[in-house]
Amino acid sequence: MSTHPSTISMPAGGVEASGGGGAIIRAESLHKTYRLGRVDVPVLRGVSVGVARGEFVAILGASGSGKSTLLHLLGALDRPDRRSGSSIVFDGRELVGASAGVLDRYRRFDVGFVFQFYHLLPELSVVENVLLGAMVAYGRLGYASRRRALDERAKELLARVGLGHRLRHRPAELSGGERQRVAIARALINGPRLLLADEPTGNLDRATGRTILDLFSELHAGGQTMVVVTHDEATAERAAGAGRVLRLTDGRMEPAPGGSG
Amino acid sequence: MIPPRSAGSARVVAGSGATVARVYQALLTRRYLTSKIMPLLAAVAVMLCTGMVIVVWSVMGGFLNHLVNSGRVLIGDVVIEWPNAGFPYYGDLVKRLEAHPMIEAAAPAIVTYSLIVLPDNRKEMVLIRGIEGESFARVTGYESSLWWRPIDEPLRKDAKREDPRLDAGIKGILTEVLENGRSLTVPGPVGGERLPAVVPGIEVSGFAARRSEGFFEPRPRLVQRGSSGGEEVLSIFLPRQGTVTLNLVPVDSQGRILDIASVTLRVANEFHTGLYEMDKKTALVELGELQRRLKMDRATRIVPPERPGGVVERPDGTESFSEGFEGIGVEPARVTTVYVRGRGEANAEAVASAVGEVYREFAAAHRGEVPPPGTIDIRTWRDQNRTMIAAVEKETGLVLILFSFISVTAVFLVLAIFWSMVAEKTKDIGVLRALGASRTGVAWVWVRYGLVIGVIGGLAGGAMSYAIVTNINDIHEWLGEAFGLYIWDPRIYYFSEIPARFKWLDASVVAASGVVSSAVGALVPAVRASRMDPVRALRFE
Ligand SMILES: Nc1ncnc2c1ncn2[C@@H]1O[C@H](COP(=O)(O)OP(=O)(O)OP(=O)(O)O)[C@@H](O)[C@H]1O
Ligand SMILES: [Mg+2]
Repeated sequence: MSTHPSTISMPAGGVEASGGGGAIIRAESLHKTYRLGRVDVPVLRGVSVGVARGEFVAILGASGSGKSTLLHLLGALDRPDRRSGSSIVFDGRELVGASAGVLDRYRRFDVGFVFQFYHLLPELSVVENVLLGAMVAYGRLGYASRRRALDERAKELLARVGLGHRLRHRPAELSGGERQRVAIARALINGPRLLLADEPTGNLDRATGRTILDLFSELHAGGQTMVVVTHDEATAERAAGAGRVLRLTDGRMEPAPGGSG
Repeated sequence: MIPPRSAGSARVVAGSGATVARVYQALLTRRYLTSKIMPLLAAVAVMLCTGMVIVVWSVMGGFLNHLVNSGRVLIGDVVIEWPNAGFPYYGDLVKRLEAHPMIEAAAPAIVTYSLIVLPDNRKEMVLIRGIEGESFARVTGYESSLWWRPIDEPLRKDAKREDPRLDAGIKGILTEVLENGRSLTVPGPVGGERLPAVVPGIEVSGFAARRSEGFFEPRPRLVQRGSSGGEEVLSIFLPRQGTVTLNLVPVDSQGRILDIASVTLRVANEFHTGLYEMDKKTALVELGELQRRLKMDRATRIVPPERPGGVVERPDGTESFSEGFEGIGVEPARVTTVYVRGRGEANAEAVASAVGEVYREFAAAHRGEVPPPGTIDIRTWRDQNRTMIAAVEKETGLVLILFSFISVTAVFLVLAIFWSMVAEKTKDIGVLRALGASRTGVAWVWVRYGLVIGVIGGLAGGAMSYAIVTNINDIHEWLGEAFGLYIWDPRIYYFSEIPARFKWLDASVVAASGVVSSAVGALVPAVRASRMDPVRALRFE
């Protein structure tokens, strides 16, 4: 498997991103507490993590350890606790406490998100699902002027994930693995600088999961920065082949003992 | 390569660069509309709600309007009244009234009560109105209220053409009967002479029976004669053979009651206003005849014996000493009432104040001989029919209340449907938000969706109600024929047709409210969903 040159040289095992590229995203002392009735359930208690440009980070953790929560915070789909000193800096800009407009723009252009349960829109065809991110990102005129290029890119992405022949199908007509590949293509439509994937293989059988991970490796090889979350050691092992493995335990981040780089 | 499917979704509308409007909204609206049964149900719900409200409004509005206007039929716009004794110089008053620019016509009349004796010897207490056919017709809808007339077209429900007025055999006499009704006279036994006659309301005599098809036909009656109980079936057509005896109570110009006067008159025709109270309790009589019988015609002025021995001047110019009641001059003819009709669409209150103005001048010209302006009654047709109009207004209020309940129910129905549709799609909202769609952007998807459904439903509802309202009588008839279901039995309502009116303005208001309700119904849950953090929307079950 090919690996991206810039990450090969990076020492594995560190919590903080390292290397000359610098962190594209750096989360500092993230706190997230869910309130269940009167009980506070702290899930993240000061997680710090940095991801360098072009890096492939796998986050491993038991079920319920807060991996999804962390990823949601990194993707600005959720907000950390107030007044907890949490900070997420993306490309030099603080996201915690940023305006809704800033966060919307961050989600549109800077970050791509792959969900465990795909979350494709059932009414849209495969190619429309992929284009959705672009439809959201650009106004009517902006979209119209980029139409041709965007259509090309969507087809290209779908071809790359092996679904070039299923453009007009509805998600319901696809297998789980195929849906996940559509979701990945969708996450990439606007060329995000950071790809976040939450258990992308969690719902798939091992063989299918492997094809998805191969796809990630390829993307990484093409220079894509990404963070993949999983509870599965084997998946983490495979991901670790390309980058760094971190372990989330007790609401804190630590380098995986077995992690390699 | 397959041509891009989404080509249609990116139609560029020049200049539509609104910050909120994005391609995905149009695409999703379209897809949500075509891929689910729910929006169809929602559109049908909007259609039924708006359609139902418009139909109810049209029917009730038409009904109430018809009812109120039928109260106006034999009254005109304004009534001047000085009951019992009446007032003189009414010819001058009529002339002055008709000279006023706001007044179209005026007609003198006498209104009194009478115990009448019908051909089957029944006695009925009715309101007698003495009128001149010609002037009364100019002020009121008198001519069109005359029931017996030849007609060419059967009433809508009269499919078997059983209405006697259609009968070619009696059309000849109906033409004459209509003429008789117009003049309130009948031809006398001697050639050329015309005798005063009476035109009772169609329900007065009981000799005309109303059929569910909406017409009246002559009906035989069982007559009891005397206390011995002798019976006889009397089958007559009132305008041909009927006579009515009026027992009248004359009142002199000083307001004193004189001896009861009885007069037997032939029936010229019968009138039908559609207002049961009026049709059952009113009879019209030729004015001159009534004046004579009530001693309100031009007569010798007499003085009471308080001035015995005084010199009295007679109308013929002779003089004599008075002995008891003495004629001292001409007592001009009197009427109790003048009916006034405003010009064009003049508002009744405005006409009433014009009438008051004219009456002041009139009273000034005849000071001491006519009631002073402050005491005479000048009322609009609304005042005159206050009981009935009050009832109708209460009914309207009730209908409006029921109406708002219906509307609120409709709005809640739409809201509930949209709530469930949005709830079902909350995950999509989460996805859109995760892809960077703004809150207003996703909320707009739903408002737009609601608007489209509202417009479809509202237009369909408007079209549906238009079809129903304009064909309501046919539909009603069909229901009656197919299922024996006569919701609107003219025997009860006294309208031969359902008086529904489709009013474009009202319908547009209702349809627009349907659209707004749909948009609001969609907006409320959409705003709620769009305010969620994307993660919560995604986790929403
Ligand atoms: N909205 C919420 N309200 C309350 N508790 C929550 C909420 N979301 C997550 N949690 C709790 O927070 C903890 C972490 O959840 P999270 O989904 O981040 O775990 P995870 O590591 O992704 O687990 P899995 O591997 O099973 O996906 C869990 O105990 C979960 O019950
Ligand atoms: Mg998870």
